[in-house]
Amino acid sequence: MAEDLIRMVAIKKSYGKVHALRGVDFTVRRGEIVGLLGDNGAGKSTLIKVLSGAVAATSGDIYVDGEKAIIRNTTDAINYSIETIYQDSALVTQLSIARNLFLGREPLRGPRFFNRLDQPMMDQVASDLLKEVGITKDIPTTTPIGSLSGGERQAVAIARAMHFDSDLIILDEPTNNLGVAETQGVLQFVRNARDSGHSCIFIAHNIHHVFQVVDRIVVLRRGTVAANDIDPKKTSIEEVERIITGMEH
Amino acid sequence: MESNRTILRLIGRPEAGPFALLVLLIVVFTSINPNFISILNISNTLAFTVELGLIALAMTLLMTSGEFDLSVGSVFGFSAVLMWTLFNSGVASLEVAFVAALGTAALIGLSSGLLVTQLKIPSFLVTLGMLLLVRGTALFITDGFPQRTWNAAGEPLAEILVGDFWIGPLRIYMSLFWFALAAIVLGYVLTGTKAGNWIQASGGNPDAARARGVKVNRTKIYLFMLSSTFAALAGIISSIRTSAANPNSGTGYELEVIAMVVIGGTALMGGRGTIIGTVIGVFILRLMRNGIIMIGVPGLAYNIFIGAIILGMMALHSWLDRRHQEAT
Repeated sequence: MAEDLIRMVAIKKSYGKVHALRGVDFTVRRGEIVGLLGDNGAGKSTLIKVLSGAVAATSGDIYVDGEKAIIRNTTDAINYSIETIYQDSALVTQLSIARNLFLGREPLRGPRFFNRLDQPMMDQVASDLLKEVGITKDIPTTTPIGSLSGGERQAVAIARAMHFDSDLIILDEPTNNLGVAETQGVLQFVRNARDSGHSCIFIAHNIHHVFQVVDRIVVLRRGTVAANDIDPKKTSIEEVERIITGMEH
Repeated sequence: MESNRTILRLIGRPEAGPFALLVLLIVVFTSINPNFISILNISNTLAFTVELGLIALAMTLLMTSGEFDLSVGSVFGFSAVLMWTLFNSGVASLEVAFVAALGTAALIGLSSGLLVTQLKIPSFLVTLGMLLLVRGTALFITDGFPQRTWNAAGEPLAEILVGDFWIGPLRIYMSLFWFALAAIVLGYVLTGTKAGNWIQASGGNPDAARARGVKVNRTKIYLFMLSSTFAALAGIISSIRTSAANPNSGTGYELEVIAMVVIGGTALMGGRGTIIGTVIGVFILRLMRNGIIMIGVPGLAYNIFIGAIILGMMALHSWLDRRHQEAT
């Protein structure tokens, strides 16, 4: 069995009297894509927010590579190589593809005093990355994100996570509002990311999309784990739907 | 074919609209009154242009980061008053007074920046408060009277800031040189540096930028300090050139400066900014003010034209943006 990359133990989160998470254990192994499913209010997004540093858990522990991790904010999460990709919020639409890829970690050239961006290097790496992630169309890396389609934006965000060697890439509803061809593209980007050694958590409302791409499915229901180890190859979609809604028998 | 594409790309730039307008203005004004491009007129226009222009350059970076500063007009008046009060009362040499005035302006910018970023008060309200605070202080310490400035002659600082020289028949003020230098440096900062990338990201999507480790608040605070310091520099240059440090000078400049910046194509809400556009915007407004008088339109009608230009340019930029999005 592959080793555990992320282990979340007995995670609880309450908002006042509302218990969003009631003691959730959740693991992600190295090099696997985990599908995280659950109805609205099941606790998926709260669990992801805890892991990505957007909210703090009320109690519980997180281990990264077996070491206890303290994640208080998104910067901490990124330092633990956890990258969260929300559909729209992760990129600056006015900036080019290359500049978004290197935002916050810009390469410089020439004397330090001039603070000069290494634009040729950024463009070169960006264009290689777009190919690696699976974009076949010839898009100049100087194109602003605002001119890209939803699927292409996902590709840029995934490429960025791959380049900076994020061990874990969390994709929150990456296929929402995408057409059929675009969706297939994004699913392929996710597979490519896994094949180059990155683990992924894949959250989507559309179970069909999840089934096409993940290695394992975890189902949350009312803040607890309803199923932890569903193999999409051996389980039917209907069965998973019953687990999600709680009408197994 | 290749040159066609180059032309298309140039037309698609945000500076293309303002540039066309600038050329149109020059053609129209000159055809009505040929004196419009006389040496004397160019020289006069350039002298005054650069003082507001300096503020507009700094404001371009601040607005690209998603904030703006309404207190620049007050700082413009206050800094000159402060410098001349210190100098005239014998407390400090002109150089020391100059540095003190710039330092005070930087502190004003720092305060605005801290209030905006730490207390999350919109920059409109913070800098509106600062506008009144600074203007009030300038009026209070001077009892509302202008400060003497005529002993500036012969001071090396005055020569460096506003000394003039002649290129053939064209009289050039040193301040034009400082304006050009500032435009080149700030243009480079905005487009070619890591700092520029952070400025654009801070205005475009501050949450995404923060998540990538961009120090959004620090970037904005520095820019508030920059715009305030540039306003002080412009005010001091103006006071030496006109031999007057009036506590009321600079009133209304903040809106004229913001107009220059947005006419040039910088987005009011941040994320996109252009120094070249601002330089064009600066010249459009100054030529307008100068030109309508030269062609015999009453000066009081100036604001009608400026208002129309602002609305027209905003409509153009919005149309270009929408066309850009539809194309994808």
